[in-house]
Amino acid sequence: MALVELHNVSKQFRKGDETITPLDEVSLQIEEGEFVSLMGPSGTGKSTLLNLVSGIDAPDAGSIVVDGTEVTALSRGQLADWRAANLGYIFQTHNLIPVLSAYENVELPTLLLKLSSAQRRERVELALDAVGLSDRAGHYPRQLSGGQEQRVGIARAIVAHPKVVVADEPTGSLDTETSEQIQALLKRLNRELNMTMLMVTHDSDVAAIASRQLLLDRGKFLDATAQTEAGRHAS
Amino acid sequence: MLTYVLKTLWRHRTRTLLTVTGAAVAMFVFCFVGSVQEGLTRLTTGDDADRSLIVFQENRFCPTSSRLPEDYSRKIRSVAGVKEVMPIQVWTNNCRASLDIVVFNGADPEQIQQTRPLELVKGSWESFRSQRDAAIVGRNVAQRRGLAVGDQFSIGDLSVKVAGVFASEVPSEDNLIYTSLAFLQYTRGLDAAGLVTQHEVLLEDDADPEVVASQIDATLRSGPVATTTRRKGAFQASTLSDLVDLIGFAHWLGYACVALVLSLVATTTVMSVQDRLKEYAVLQTIGVRPLRTMRLVLAESVILCVLGGLAGTILACGALALGGFAIGAEGATIAFRPSFGLLFSGALVSLVVGVAAGFAPAIQAASVPIVKALRQA
Repeated sequence: MALVELHNVSKQFRKGDETITPLDEVSLQIEEGEFVSLMGPSGTGKSTLLNLVSGIDAPDAGSIVVDGTEVTALSRGQLADWRAANLGYIFQTHNLIPVLSAYENVELPTLLLKLSSAQRRERVELALDAVGLSDRAGHYPRQLSGGQEQRVGIARAIVAHPKVVVADEPTGSLDTETSEQIQALLKRLNRELNMTMLMVTHDSDVAAIASRQLLLDRGKFLDATAQTEAGRHAS
Repeated sequence: MLTYVLKTLWRHRTRTLLTVTGAAVAMFVFCFVGSVQEGLTRLTTGDDADRSLIVFQENRFCPTSSRLPEDYSRKIRSVAGVKEVMPIQVWTNNCRASLDIVVFNGADPEQIQQTRPLELVKGSWESFRSQRDAAIVGRNVAQRRGLAVGDQFSIGDLSVKVAGVFASEVPSEDNLIYTSLAFLQYTRGLDAAGLVTQHEVLLEDDADPEVVASQIDATLRSGPVATTTRRKGAFQASTLSDLVDLIGFAHWLGYACVALVLSLVATTTVMSVQDRLKEYAVLQTIGVRPLRTMRLVLAESVILCVLGGLAGTILACGALALGGFAIGAEGATIAFRPSFGLLFSGALVSLVVGVAAGFAPAIQAASVPIVKALRQA
């Protein structure tokens, strides 16, 4: 049984008089430990799919099951508890809490779990160590570079040992060099910690670090590998 | 999570400081208004107000216009239910409402010591009894006028030597100056030899105040001056009737202060939440429950309100304790005193207003559309 399962998931938006269908009866299965990247043109529903898997948005039809839990059947409060225990979210713009230090930002998700203060400290230190920022623990977001902020965001996403980590354009706002560091970090976390990852990206080079690449267009999955190859040949 | 709340407040410290200051000023006024109302309640209720009667000249209000024979006390003492009668000559520097009213009560020093709930905090009863122009001064007057034992205090045609400073269980009494009856009767301008302003009657435990009051008036009807006898509380409320109306109106000022704090803290909290909708969306994305998000916002508004409210309440209580303020008219005074009740109500109002002020923004933060908020720049 796959860790993440989407069954005939549809989502529509109203924009003025127009109805947009970013996801049209989409089905997907992601195995435990798999690293899946999701590509596609802007507005094709990549982030929508990520948000549905995260339970911060609800589909109009279909069901989403993560590790045996039907996410689509949970209430808002239950979803929050579920996310705290099972999901790590890496934002494109890191979205760190500005008034908290790097350590406190990473510690936030652990405050929602039943852990002793020693366990919390151990997890935060491990997470910061995993992203190479142990020496920046006391720094505030304004004192960190863009790449460091994103790494704190990644540490925050993995600190609760989630079953699934979703990443929405994690390198989208970074320069090439920092982007490569983040890609390497994500790949290492997937490989060493066996974390199941679903990543949205525009960039086919970034998508290539995943073990499986999916292409979403007009609400449907296309054969991503073929599309990627076609794109490379064309360029 | 408390760290997050405190750091958020600290980050916007100018806004926090302004809100806390505003709440403190409003709660300061609220407590002052509350102390006036408490003073009025103390004056018109309680043992001293309910279990003593004042015999005053009929249809007279200002102490200078009531002139009763001193020997009425003998007739009053014969009425069933009367335990003690104390003839009192009253002199005041101002019959109209004033914040610095000085009221002299002339009575027999022995009777004052035995019947009034006074405790001399400075000076001695002996010097009060032995010197003709000696006076014992209520601690509020002493504080307000800077009087100490041994000082000579003069006002109008009166000049007394301070023989002691007293504290009374009845707060309004802290605004009085007691002299001997004879001294005040023979003061120039009063010409009150053999006359007094009023008789204060202490009742037996089982006596009905209304019945005894009627009997006193009936007994004295055959005398040269008709009287009106009322419970001390009712007498003082009637004497201060104009002020009572004003004080009754002032409680709206107290409510206005509460509304001001509510509006101030609510505005700050709404602004704070609206500035950080994306932050609340991030918190919920990482697993913070909507109810917990609500508690975070409520904690912010409660901290602001309680900080400001407590600061204002404590400052007001301090000012009331040190200032010895009182307002009076026609010889009766209302003392503004700090009290645990005031402190408690100030803290409680701050807490309740804090919750009320944060409620709407807390709901907004808890129900923020996560995806939409995350898309905000």
